[in-house]
Amino acid sequence: MKTSHNNRPVLEAVDLTKRYEDGVLALDHVNFAIPAGELFAMLGGNGAGKTTTVNLFLNLLEPTEGEARVNGVAAHLEPLKAKSQMAFVSENVMLYPNFTAIQNLDFFAKLSGHDEYGTRYYRDVLLRVGLAEESHNKRLKGFSKGMRQKCGIAIAILKNAPAILLDEPTAGLDPKAGHDFIQLLDSLRREGKAILMSTHDIFRAREVADTIAIMDCGRIIMQKRAAELQGQDLVQIYMRYMAGRTESSPIAAPVES
Amino acid sequence: MFRAILEKEIRDLLGSTKFVLTFAVSAVLIIGAFAIGATRHNLNLRQYEASVAENLRQLDGLTDWNQMEQNRVFLPPQPLAALVSGVSNDIGRTITVTGRGELTATDSRYGEDPIYAVFRFLDLKFIFHIVFSLFAILLGFDAVCGEKERGTLRLALANAVPRHTFIAGKLVGSVAALAVSLLIAVGAGCLLLPVMGVSLSGGDWIRLVLIVLTGLLYFGAFLTMSVFVSAVTHRSSSSFMAMLVIWIVGVLIVPRVSVLLAGRAIDVPSVDHMSAQKASYREQLWKESRELMANFQPKANTACAATDFGRFMDSLMDVREARTQIYTARLNEERYNRQQEQQKLAFNIARVSPSTSLTLATSALAGTFLTLKEHFVDEASGYQDAYGQFIKEKTGLNPAAGIKVIKIGESNQEPIDPDELPRFGYRPIPLDQSVASAAGDVGILAIFNLLFFAGGFLAFSRYDVR
Repeated sequence: MKTSHNNRPVLEAVDLTKRYEDGVLALDHVNFAIPAGELFAMLGGNGAGKTTTVNLFLNLLEPTEGEARVNGVAAHLEPLKAKSQMAFVSENVMLYPNFTAIQNLDFFAKLSGHDEYGTRYYRDVLLRVGLAEESHNKRLKGFSKGMRQKCGIAIAILKNAPAILLDEPTAGLDPKAGHDFIQLLDSLRREGKAILMSTHDIFRAREVADTIAIMDCGRIIMQKRAAELQGQDLVQIYMRYMAGRTESSPIAAPVES
Repeated sequence: MFRAILEKEIRDLLGSTKFVLTFAVSAVLIIGAFAIGATRHNLNLRQYEASVAENLRQLDGLTDWNQMEQNRVFLPPQPLAALVSGVSNDIGRTITVTGRGELTATDSRYGEDPIYAVFRFLDLKFIFHIVFSLFAILLGFDAVCGEKERGTLRLALANAVPRHTFIAGKLVGSVAALAVSLLIAVGAGCLLLPVMGVSLSGGDWIRLVLIVLTGLLYFGAFLTMSVFVSAVTHRSSSSFMAMLVIWIVGVLIVPRVSVLLAGRAIDVPSVDHMSAQKASYREQLWKESRELMANFQPKANTACAATDFGRFMDSLMDVREARTQIYTARLNEERYNRQQEQQKLAFNIARVSPSTSLTLATSALAGTFLTLKEHFVDEASGYQDAYGQFIKEKTGLNPAAGIKVIKIGESNQEPIDPDELPRFGYRPIPLDQSVASAAGDVGILAIFNLLFFAGGFLAFSRYDVR
């Protein structure tokens, strides 16, 4: 069930620009909008600006220009309000290793303002993300990367925020775990979540995204709806853009002041 | 939200293998320090009682107080001195009281057992000094940068959590968790004292509680410092290295360097130099006395000649003693003032390290600060006056007059009663005086806590979480 409530974007980048203190232009007037119930995949090489974009939404960085908005709230102006409407799953989720899965969920649920949840609900969510019951009360120090990633997405689900940010969520996952993860994202998208996913994984992006953007040198150099890419080889498209980049535009170099 | 972070911090710390191992070692050392202190106190008490009994035993069979060779008083062992030894092992524990003249404490524990001067005793203050600071560093050095390395910081701050709430929860949580666990170990150690037969007065218990609280402030200073350093570094290895250097400099180097610097800045005359000056003055006075003695004319009645001569010698001695006392007091005061100036400078330099404040505050509270020697000598001086008066009453002569008149053939040959000898009632340094003396350093430790707490707060507000 795809629920596009209205056309108002949940996640929106408006001329989003970030120049670091050393002069490196990491993000250059990036624009995109993600409505409810859609998944926006950002593809690109290392240093393309994908993680910078995520960090600007999370207010871990201040934009030099433009805004990262969540439901119309500029993240750098009202960070707490913006963050309350976003869940985040990072690459290689590393939770508290001395805590059990349930204890980790409990802490992050409380951190996101949900004191009302109980163990039964945590178990349900963990089962939903595919974490077997016998692991629920085990310390995370013994968990595989895939199991930790499941805990990470469970934490995002618990927050029950309208937007979800994913930074390289499938990096390092085995094919089965990657597939399960994408299925889960699909179900969250169907629930009406607006999802921003940065990834290197062209195949997964193709499989699940509604819109695919290719980033390079801090700019979006291609942005198309999945339907537009129907029947086209995304790998070829990506390689063609990347090849064009290497000939014409080197990776963001320090700008002289 | 604050509560959730606080609970997480406590649970995370207490559940870590690092905590279990370091706490186990710390607890054993803390309880061990109490056990060793109690054993040593009981031994010191037995030695003290034996020394007092030995001093009285010399009076056995004597029939004249003039026959008493020497009267010695001893520094009674205090239970807290076994826990925070301070200078109690360095200063002399015995003073020979002659009835007049300058008093000197001799027979220090380190003098008797030099091995302890090399390795020192494993006392509670040493444990606080080393173990508390290392415990704090080991459990606090990665408080912020460790969370960044693990990725939990980014995940936590992706929520609507104000940074000040997060760092406050971490700081309060870690201080509470670790302080309570250390208190449990210290509490168990305290319980050992009565079990091992060490009796503490109400005042001693108050002192002990204050010593423990001072230790916790010291621990807090290192813990908040570790959290602060972890909030200005981005790798736990860098934070650990920084704290290790700070620990070496603060705990081991600064106190020693401060003494060297103060020694170079303010010159204090040596004891040898002072002794030479005093001896020279005494020689000069004797020369004057000898001239007067040469002119002594006994009265016609030869039966009283010896008594007359004794009185004459007595009067000469009174004059010599009075002048010596004035001269010695002046020299001592000059040296004392210079020494105080030097000490003050050394302490003030050393106070850049919390370890100095811990040392000064705990020894002041235990009554084993530098003033202990002075206090012991003052107490013995008070006793000397009473003793001198007693001997004069019994013999008719000033004690240590340089002459003894032993009457032979008189009918009274009854043995003297040792119980008549005035007893040395040592009064420890009063509690209020100790507390006043320690207050400044306790305050400094509290300031260290506040400064590093605020520093951690500020550093984290600008911390790059990425």
